[in-house]
Amino acid sequence: MSAISFPEPALAAQAEEHAQPRARRWYRQPALASGAILLALIVAAAIAAPLLTPYNPIKQNLGASLLGPSAHHLLGTDQTGRDTFARLLYGLRTDLRIAFIAVLLPFCIGTILGSIAGYFGGWVDAVLMRLVDIVVAFPFYVLIIALVFVLGPGQRSIYIAITLVGWVSYARIIRGEILVAKRQDYVLAARSGGLSAVRIIGRHLLPNVITQAIIYAMSDIVQDILAIVTLGYFGLGVPAPTPDLGSMINDGQNFLTTHWQLTTFPGLAVVVVGLSLSLIGDGLADLIRPGQS
Amino acid sequence: MAFVVRRLLMLVPVAIGVTIVVFFMIHLIPGDPARTILGIHATPKRIAILHRQWGLNRPLVSQYWLFMDRLLHGNLGQSLYYGVPAAGLIISRLPPTLWLIVYAAVIAVAVSVPLAMIAATRKDAVRDHVVRAVPLLGLGMPPFWVGILLVYALAIKVHAFPVSGYGKGFAGHLHAMFLPALTVAIALAPVVIRSLRASMLNVLGAEYITTARSKGVPGPRLFLRHVLRNAVIPAVTVLGINIGYLIGGTVIIESIFAIPGIGQLMINSIFQRDFPVVQGVTLVFGVLVVLVNLLADLSYAALDPRVRFDR
Amino acid sequence: MTHRYFVRKALISVGALIVLAGCGSGGSGGSTGATSGPVRGGNLIFAAVQDAQSMNNTTVFDNNSIWIFEQIFQTLYTVTNDGKGVRPQLATSYTISPDKKTYTFKLRPGVKFSDGKPMTSADVKFSIDQNRKAAQGWAYLDSAIKSVDDPSPDTVVIHLKFPWAPLLADLSIFANGIVPNNYAGQTETQFYTHPIGTGPFKWGFWHKGQALKLVRNTNYWQKGLPYLNSITWTDVANDNTRQLQLKAGQAQIDQFPAWSTVSSLKSTSGVNMHLFNSTQTNYLAFNELRKPFADVHVRRAISLAIDRNALVKAVLFGNGKPANSLFPPQVPFYQASTPGLQFNLTQAKAEMAKSTVPHGFTTTIIVPAGNSDYVTIATILQSELKPLGIKLKITQLDPNVANNDEQTLKYDMVLTLWTMDIPDPDELATFAVDPSSGAKSFFTDYKNPTVIKDTHLAETTTAPAKRQQYYNVVQADAAKDAFMAYLYYSPYPYATTSKVHGFYVTPLGNMHMEDVWLSK
Repeated sequence: MSAISFPEPALAAQAEEHAQPRARRWYRQPALASGAILLALIVAAAIAAPLLTPYNPIKQNLGASLLGPSAHHLLGTDQTGRDTFARLLYGLRTDLRIAFIAVLLPFCIGTILGSIAGYFGGWVDAVLMRLVDIVVAFPFYVLIIALVFVLGPGQRSIYIAITLVGWVSYARIIRGEILVAKRQDYVLAARSGGLSAVRIIGRHLLPNVITQAIIYAMSDIVQDILAIVTLGYFGLGVPAPTPDLGSMINDGQNFLTTHWQLTTFPGLAVVVVGLSLSLIGDGLADLIRPGQS
Repeated sequence: MAFVVRRLLMLVPVAIGVTIVVFFMIHLIPGDPARTILGIHATPKRIAILHRQWGLNRPLVSQYWLFMDRLLHGNLGQSLYYGVPAAGLIISRLPPTLWLIVYAAVIAVAVSVPLAMIAATRKDAVRDHVVRAVPLLGLGMPPFWVGILLVYALAIKVHAFPVSGYGKGFAGHLHAMFLPALTVAIALAPVVIRSLRASMLNVLGAEYITTARSKGVPGPRLFLRHVLRNAVIPAVTVLGINIGYLIGGTVIIESIFAIPGIGQLMINSIFQRDFPVVQGVTLVFGVLVVLVNLLADLSYAALDPRVRFDR
Repeated sequence: MTHRYFVRKALISVGALIVLAGCGSGGSGGSTGATSGPVRGGNLIFAAVQDAQSMNNTTVFDNNSIWIFEQIFQTLYTVTNDGKGVRPQLATSYTISPDKKTYTFKLRPGVKFSDGKPMTSADVKFSIDQNRKAAQGWAYLDSAIKSVDDPSPDTVVIHLKFPWAPLLADLSIFANGIVPNNYAGQTETQFYTHPIGTGPFKWGFWHKGQALKLVRNTNYWQKGLPYLNSITWTDVANDNTRQLQLKAGQAQIDQFPAWSTVSSLKSTSGVNMHLFNSTQTNYLAFNELRKPFADVHVRRAISLAIDRNALVKAVLFGNGKPANSLFPPQVPFYQASTPGLQFNLTQAKAEMAKSTVPHGFTTTIIVPAGNSDYVTIATILQSELKPLGIKLKITQLDPNVANNDEQTLKYDMVLTLWTMDIPDPDELATFAVDPSSGAKSFFTDYKNPTVIKDTHLAETTTAPAKRQQYYNVVQADAAKDAFMAYLYYSPYPYATTSKVHGFYVTPLGNMHMEDVWLSK
């Protein structure tokens, strides 16, 4: 579970900003810079996993199970003798990949539907928003878990479940922003100038409101990673033997009193990923709304 | 008042939609409750006997009508697994979940208010940056992992709390549920702290505060009388918006801490394919979320009249 | 450990011996003190892996229900502690007619139900007749019974359709447990919400998904028993949580701690780690309806390629034995000398060369999601089958769906297991090798006419030596055919606090909780 703060429509700040040049460059924003560097390091480590560890994360070595940390095995080995550090790196790879892909679909679908609802209003808006209300009526994890059961375990199910649940937040945010933005003078002018709806939304509205969705996407990825890890922990996530941080925490849990590193480090990896993304999200928000920091 | 009525009327299609999603989603879950009960002895003959007993041999749409008909009469049907009324099962498991939710919300607010105050009163000072940075760490913590570590540290190493369970009596619940509630609160607090800080800054910048300050109202009193009162309401609203996450999180926390709430009931019932119970629990969750959202919306509207027109 | 500790320990085990020897004649009424023998009183918390499902002993297949209602319902004969035979319980003796088709039982005098009413032959007749009607339940085990008579209050006569060797074993199953005639005037559903029996414990309450409590039956027929005032089974699915509860004293018995934790529990002070012999056998089943598995050489090759010792080490952490027979060692007529197929890679490759797919093939194994032991087995199999050119894909399915695919033969390979319900191999043998039984030869579609014939001859033959011969053939041939790969035998792991005494689990899983007591 992770709590989410929906960004409030950035009403006035947004309007002012339309005319203003960017106040600060991204690297002048300490949160954003540190988050970006941290994330770059993590992603690089995950991508370069084969260079960073000589071990295969899947290959078992029953003769070397549950070894403590050493020069050979930085974080020791697990129950079936697999190197924990290797599994951690490859697990990050798996979970980051799934999370980044999983965030794209709801982002796109939610943005499109939110624009349509906000721009056209009327019955389209009413229907879409009732749909949103229905999805929102279910607690996030209740819906995700139920959907994964419907679809069966596996990565495909995770993508679908996260999409079906996740699009509503983007739709809400974009709709709220567009409701405000469409009353701005330049949009009214474009409308009376006879530009098509698609053009107005695509050329004039979205570029101004999409940043809110991007900021939200940062916290959404964090939430998706937590969901993926949680599903893995409950045995509903990425099927074994593919390394995944959640199933590592679960496997390690039985050895908590004797081999605490098996549970602790996969969790810490998730925390660091979450931190980097949150820093980026925060920094972006500050960059866009300097007055509100 | 018209706003309230309109808001309530909007709930009708949502409620119907929720029952449709609940019913068909649950029945789309592959598997068979008869297999749960019969295990390795599930011969086709035995399965047929049970299906007839449960009415599962009827078409899905007619099962849905039956479900709706019963629901309107306040009947959630019989648990397939236990053979007792589903409503009774759910009601008996509701208190631990409500305890967990309220307890966690209380801890989250109790932690967040002072921290946000510390940060907001000295904007951009070191302590402000610390209070802003630490919640970022919390945002990325998998709650089940936090729960495991808390148990290890505070229940196994130091025997300060029981490792699991619900406890007996009010004091017992307070004691036994502390770690699970804290786990949920840790996930929740970062968001509350951040929005509380932001709204306190807004209030601090407002005209009436400046006026009060210039009139010489002492700092602490000013804060309690004006700032806090006006800033807590948005924080509660944030809690309301997050109710879905809060409730969903209890599903996970309950199973880590073996708390016999409806979250655990739901997970077990999904595994058992106990359709009526899963439907019942998801409906209860839905009702809780919708009600709290409604309250949050209404309080929001009461605070800010513009909301009624724009949202 | 101090010297005094040892003295205490010795006294306790003597006390426990007395209890066992005195079974039926009453425990020691005047126990002298806390340290010298069994103590009366105390409430025991039993942290179970799962909640019970129902108390209906004729329809329930779920072990966690069975092990609880066995404290309420008793049978005419019950399983001996070694799991290989029966001993009298509610009956005291029986006689068989010369044609071996009529059994006459004498009932134990002085047995009362927990509501104080005496048990008579009418109750016995009613109970067995109810089970014979339970088509969705255990009726099939009583299918040899033609009728049950109650000529006098202390005599029950069972007429058989044909001679039936496993009758006493079948009568010892919980499903033939004795309930009051006509459910004491209630409907079946009403009765099982607060059941009445002759057992050492009677109904307390059941908060479903939380706790089920049984309390002492003050009318229990064994004088002085049970020792405990009550037992509460709590539903704690998480292995780790159960263990933590045990260590913190929140529970006294931890059912099935994770194998990985057994050795550390053994050395934990204040905890007794028990490994009771069980009849649990784990198998790898092959679906003979699917392409390469109809070929006996493929099945034999796979079976020979599995290093069972490695499985026992990795999955059970050494707490088990490689399996050599369809039957587990705790079952009568188990043949220890059945060679089975053991790990031999050279032979495995030779079998593969003789097969229709000498260069290997791609196949899948179904594993129920969330079962980490099975995932470990599957990943080990994956690497062990590689030398044969077999590429094994692991498909994790929801347990209910996995079960469905197994039983409708929609799989290539699947991991499965069996535990005995009766102290006779008949139930397992019929289930596993006879495709005309409901289970289609353990869902493999295996057919070997000799094995099928001998399985049924062993049912109607009563002479033990002759039955042994038949079962020897069954075990040897089935092993040769490798219709399943026998993986390992595992014990029942139970951890208790050191205050728990007299706790014992038979290989069939029965627990005589009346013998259990708690020291102060």
